Amino acid sequence: MEPLIQCEDITHYYGNRLIYKNLNFEVQKGKILGLLGKNGTGKTTIINILNGYLKPQSGICRIFGERMDKLSPQTKGRIGLLLEGHIQHSYFNVLQIERYYSRFFPRWKKEAYFRLLEKLRVSHKQKISTMSCGQRSQVALGLLFAQDPDLLILDDFSMGLDPGYRRLFVEYLKEYAASEDKTIFLTSHIIQDMEMLIDDCIILDYGKILLHEPTDYILKNFRRFTFSASSDAFAENQIVRNTGKTGNRWETYSFASIGDVRAVLSVNNEISDLKEETLSLEDAFIGLTGKY
Amino acid sequence: MYQSIVYKEWIKTQKVIWLLLAVFLGLGIYSFMKIAEDVRLTGTAAYWEAIIQKDISLFPFFKYAPLLSGFLLGITQYLPELQYKRLKLTLHLPLNENRILSLMLLYGFSVAGLLQFLTLSGLLLGLSFLFTTEIVYVVFWKLLPWFIAGWAAYLLTAWVCLEPLWKRRISNMIAGICVLSFFFIQSKSGAYQPFIPYLATFVLIAFSFPFYSVMRFKEGIQ
Repeated sequence: MEPLIQCEDITHYYGNRLIYKNLNFEVQKGKILGLLGKNGTGKTTIINILNGYLKPQSGICRIFGERMDKLSPQTKGRIGLLLEGHIQHSYFNVLQIERYYSRFFPRWKKEAYFRLLEKLRVSHKQKISTMSCGQRSQVALGLLFAQDPDLLILDDFSMGLDPGYRRLFVEYLKEYAASEDKTIFLTSHIIQDMEMLIDDCIILDYGKILLHEPTDYILKNFRRFTFSASSDAFAENQIVRNTGKTGNRWETYSFASIGDVRAVLSVNNEISDLKEETLSLEDAFIGLTGKY
Repeated sequence: MYQSIVYKEWIKTQKVIWLLLAVFLGLGIYSFMKIAEDVRLTGTAAYWEAIIQKDISLFPFFKYAPLLSGFLLGITQYLPELQYKRLKLTLHLPLNENRILSLMLLYGFSVAGLLQFLTLSGLLLGLSFLFTTEIVYVVFWKLLPWFIAGWAAYLLTAWVCLEPLWKRRISNMIAGICVLSFFFIQSKSGAYQPFIPYLATFVLIAFSFPFYSVMRFKEGIQ
C-alpha cells in the first residue's frame, strides 16, 4: 500500500504546553482515517502542520511525497481541504463561489456541486454568509466533490452540525470515497456516526497517540466490563483501562478476554458478577480516553 | 486562474470602489463649487493673490481622502482573509503562494491607482479651465504626495491586516502611521518636489512588507 500522508516524529509545543512528542502515523491510499480526540488534543494542529500552516518544533510530514512546507501547486490541486467550521469565502453567493473555484481545478465537476445543493432550499444568489452552519457544510462539501481531489483533509467536519446534517455529510462522504477510491484524513471530536465512515482510527490523547487500529478491530475486540467489588480502588495496568465506579458497580475497559480481565482484577481483590459488553465507537473512545 | 483571483478581489471590494468613486466625485464637485463661490465673494484678483501670495490650498478635502481610500480598500480586501483564517483557503489554491499574494496586491494597487488617477486628472482638468498652467502645475505638486500616501496606506494596511500576531500588528500600525506622517508635513506648495522620488521608492519597498506577514502566517505564529 502506498502512503499518501506520512508524519514522522512530530513534536510540538504551544509555549510550555506539550501538544505531541514524536508523533508518527501514515495514511494509506484508499483509506479513510479518522483522527479522534477530545478538545485541545491537537487535532487542528496536525491539520495545520500537514498543510504547511504551522511549523512544528521538530519532525516532518509529507503529502504525496512532498514536504508539508513546500507543497507544489500541483500537489495542492490534488488535496481538498475543509477548514474547521466549514469556513469558506462567505462574501460569495452560491454561483459566484463555484465560478471562482472552477478555474483552478482541471477535473472540476460542476454537476457534483449543484447536485448536492439541490437538496438545500437556497437560491443560487444566496450569499454564503447568510446560510446556516448545516447549509454551509453542504456548500463546502459540494465544492470538495466538484474539485475531485485524490485526498480529502477534513478538519472537525462535524462541528456545529445537527444530527441530520452530520448524517448527510457522512453518507455522502462514504459513498464518494467508496466509488472513487479516494483517501480521506479527517479529525473529529464527535464520534457518533464515525463508525459508519472511518476504516482506521487514531485516538489522540494529550501529548501522544493512544491507539492506532482499524475501526473494525476496535469494535470487535474492545469491551466494557462491569463487576461488583468491595475494594475502593483498582490499579491501572496494561490490560485494563479507566477503571472506575458508576453507582454500585465498577466498570473497566479492555482489549483482553473476559478470563484475562478477571485474572487481572482478582489480584488482591475480590470481584463478582463480571459482565462483558460490546461497544459503539463512541463508547470505545470514552473507554480509552476517560470521561473527563 | 489569475482571472479568478481578480474576480474574488472584485467581489470583496466592488461596493467600496463604487463608494469611493462617489465620495471622490462628490468632494471634487464640492471643491469646485467652493472655488467658484470664493472667487465670486472675494473677486478674481484677490483670489489669485491669495493663491500666489498666501499659498492657500484649493483642495483641502483631498488632503486625507486618498489616504483613507487606501486604508479602506486594504481593510476590505484583507480583513475577510484574516477572519477565521480564510487566508489558508487562498494559499491552498494550486498556484504559487507568492504569485497569489502579488496578484492580490497588484489588484488593490491598481484599483487605488485608477481611482487616484481619475480623481487627480479630473481635478487638474477642471482647474485648467479656471487658472493658468503655472497654478495647475503648483496644485499638482501639492496634491501628488497626498495621492502617493493613498498607495502607501493601502500597502501598509495589507501589511498590518495580514500580520498574524496582534502585538506585532499594533507595532506595525504605529510604524505605518509614523511613515505616513512624512507625506503630510506642512510646507509650501512644491516644497515636496525633491522628496517625491523618496516617497515613491518607499511605496515600492512597502510592496514587500505583506509578504513578510504572510510568511509569519505560514509559520503558524500566533
